[in-house]
Amino acid sequence: MSEGRILVVEDNPKNLKLVRDVLTYAGYEVIEATSGEDGVRLAAETVPDLILMDLQLPGIDGAEALRQIRATERQVPVVAVTAFAMNNDRARAFDAGFDGYVEKPISVRALPQQVSDFLKLGGIP
Amino acid sequence: MGAGPRPERATVSAEEHEQLRRDLDALRDQFEAADEVLTALGRSAADPEAVLTTVVESARRLCRSDAAYLCLLEYGVYELIKSTGLTDESITYIADHPMPVDRDTLIGRVGLDRQTQQIADVLSDPEYGRYDLQRVAGYRTTMGAPMLVDDDVVGALVLWRNEVRPFDEREMAIVTAFAGQAAMAVNGVTLVQELESRSAELAKNVERLEALREVGEAVSSSLDVDHVLSTIAMHAVALSGTDGGSIMEYSARDRCFMVRSVHRTDPAVVQRLRSIRIDLDETLVGRAAQGRRPIAVSDLDRVHLDPHLKILHDDGWRSLAAVPMLREDQIVGCLIVRRKRKGGFTEETLDLLETFASQSALALLNARLFRELEEQSVELELASTHKSEFLASMSHELRTPLNAVLGFSEVLLERMFGDINERQEEYLRDIHGSGQHLLELLNEILDLSKVEAGRMELEYSSFDLRSLLELATSMLRERAALHGIDLRIETAEMGTVYSDELRLKQVLLNLVTNAVKFTGDGGSVVVGAQRDGPEVLISVTDTGIGVPEADRERIFESFQQGGRGSSREEGTGLGLTLSRRIVELLGGRMWLESEVGRGSTFGFSLPAGDREGTGRPADGSPAACGEVVVIEDDRPSLDLFSAYLSKAALKVTTARDGPSGLAAVRRTLPDAVLLDIRLPGIDGWAVLKELKAEPATRDIPVIVVSIVDERARGVAMGAAAYLVKPIGREDLLTALSAVGAPVPLPGSGHEHREGP
Repeated sequence: MSEGRILVVEDNPKNLKLVRDVLTYAGYEVIEATSGEDGVRLAAETVPDLILMDLQLPGIDGAEALRQIRATERQVPVVAVTAFAMNNDRARAFDAGFDGYVEKPISVRALPQQVSDFLKLGGIP
Repeated sequence: MGAGPRPERATVSAEEHEQLRRDLDALRDQFEAADEVLTALGRSAADPEAVLTTVVESARRLCRSDAAYLCLLEYGVYELIKSTGLTDESITYIADHPMPVDRDTLIGRVGLDRQTQQIADVLSDPEYGRYDLQRVAGYRTTMGAPMLVDDDVVGALVLWRNEVRPFDEREMAIVTAFAGQAAMAVNGVTLVQELESRSAELAKNVERLEALREVGEAVSSSLDVDHVLSTIAMHAVALSGTDGGSIMEYSARDRCFMVRSVHRTDPAVVQRLRSIRIDLDETLVGRAAQGRRPIAVSDLDRVHLDPHLKILHDDGWRSLAAVPMLREDQIVGCLIVRRKRKGGFTEETLDLLETFASQSALALLNARLFRELEEQSVELELASTHKSEFLASMSHELRTPLNAVLGFSEVLLERMFGDINERQEEYLRDIHGSGQHLLELLNEILDLSKVEAGRMELEYSSFDLRSLLELATSMLRERAALHGIDLRIETAEMGTVYSDELRLKQVLLNLVTNAVKFTGDGGSVVVGAQRDGPEVLISVTDTGIGVPEADRERIFESFQQGGRGSSREEGTGLGLTLSRRIVELLGGRMWLESEVGRGSTFGFSLPAGDREGTGRPADGSPAACGEVVVIEDDRPSLDLFSAYLSKAALKVTTARDGPSGLAAVRRTLPDAVLLDIRLPGIDGWAVLKELKAEPATRDIPVIVVSIVDERARGVAMGAAAYLVKPIGREDLLTALSAVGAPVPLPGSGHEHREGP
């Protein structure tokens, strides 16, 4: 029995594999997308419980992908994954309407708990 | 009677008689004329005009000439001032074509030779050079005498006949005498004029000083070079008594001049001047500049017209002075003043113009320097932007692979997918440690580049210093314990400071990490703090190996670790550099005291910067009556809310994220909670949901503060009130009061709640 279905949108294959393996190990079902366009499509097709979205993506970026996902799916929590090179990245993530953020490099130990916290956001009326 | 005929001669011939009669008539005429002149001179001592008129008319009559005229020598040319028998056409022609002191004309020769002479027939004199004038006036024989004052030629009296009939000696004597009279009259005039002009001179000097002051002011106060130059051109024209002028800028690259500013010049002429090349080697302006001396032209008709002068001449300009603008002997440009009529320039005027020229040079150079500085700063800014963008992008690009390095090594160390042996674990720790090290290096390079570019943004807030010291040391406690190092804090209660908490923590961590790193097993590291007037002094003292004198400054430079022996772990080599820069940004300074073999103390100062009403209640504030937990990650907002609440005598507990906020509420069970929605990690909604789910916290009123208006959602989830940022003090206190927190109502005259 899966803890939940997580859609991970990340263009770097090694980082995608890392997140996938860690979350799979923690008992989640992981759907992988390597571009914003794939992310939007898979968000509609697979109805995930949570989406982890890299902000810098080839093609449409994370903010645009979020906008397109929100056009049809209002409830699913979408969390930004950012490198936070600059101070204003976090503000930008919130301005774009993300429900939260996870800072890169991700902590393998902390990630399952963070995902669990975010999942509680779902199901809010 | 001695001049009369001899009495002993009985008879004279009729011819002789006739000759004698003519001589007598001539003598009588001469005496009469002389008498007339003398009478006129006596009568008109105060009216030299009348004297000169008498002189000219008498000379013409007595010498049986067709015309007579009198010229004064002004700036090297003869100017016609009085004449008789000349046609209007001739008068105008002479005025427009003045005669210089040369051998072309009779008057010129008179001035050169300083004696009375004649030309029997100008048409047969090989040296004569003014047939133009001869054609207009029609004379053939001409005679003249110099006007001498103190041996200086001041002018000349000239007669002419329209036929070839040379003057005799008697006539030459008359002209010589009359020229002398005219010179005396002119000299008298000059003396009077000199007296009169002395006061005028004084007034003029005042005027000049005034103009120079105005120009100087314009040069030093205005960076608008066009305004400065037009001011200079205007004053130069006014003070040199000319009709117009221009200022040209010299281009060393193109070896030519360009018109920068003009005064009283037809725009069409300016346009033509700008369309031609005013060459350094081929123009009068260029000659003046190359000679580093002003050149004055009193008559443009008489000089070779270069392209520049040609345009001016075509527009009716007749005389000018070109004054080079120099700066340390370099040509900067040229100042030109000009008249529509002919005429020379006095030395005094040229001196004045040179002053204006040097002011113009200064103005132009200032403007050039300013322009260059501006261009450079734009370039620098661009370079700095490129650098920042490069670093930001490099930081992102390097973090992405580092993410995988750190993550996978962590996955293996966590044994998520099976056990590993001891050696594998050691190597994995090496990989992970090196990755961490690389990440720190990356962060420090990015920070340092921000400091260098002046782009490090500080976030000030009030916070408890002791708590921060404890937090920083706690992070190193485990490692210190591993080496048996006694790590402790020795300080009294420090209260709050107003600074950037995160940056200060970064500095403290760096110093404590270094101290632990360089202290041998069993040593000690002491973190101390004390107040010193308006400053707080913080020190980290270790019992390590110490830093030799020679290295004490060097270790603050990038990538220098000093001769501190082999380190157990390599550092980034940037930590101290960055720490010192951060402390300086925060308004303090950092120093090092050390004794080799005994240890080191790294100290730094910070302005305590306590501000009234921020953070902890200041002394004298009433005791807190209620308690509020504020969960807010934005430090300025947190600071502001804390200030409002402390002033209202409420005890404030702050939390910067959801989990610590939940913990604070569970621990203190406050009268109310202020909850921001956008929090790192779990957001405000999740916090609210948790609080409402727990029996212990369910009834504590939660006031949501957010920049987004989602009132309906807030109410649906059980928020007691919903405030949209920005939030004023009154909004906050009103809301707290409305939800039942013990606060005074705003506007009740005093802020502190009376006892319940």
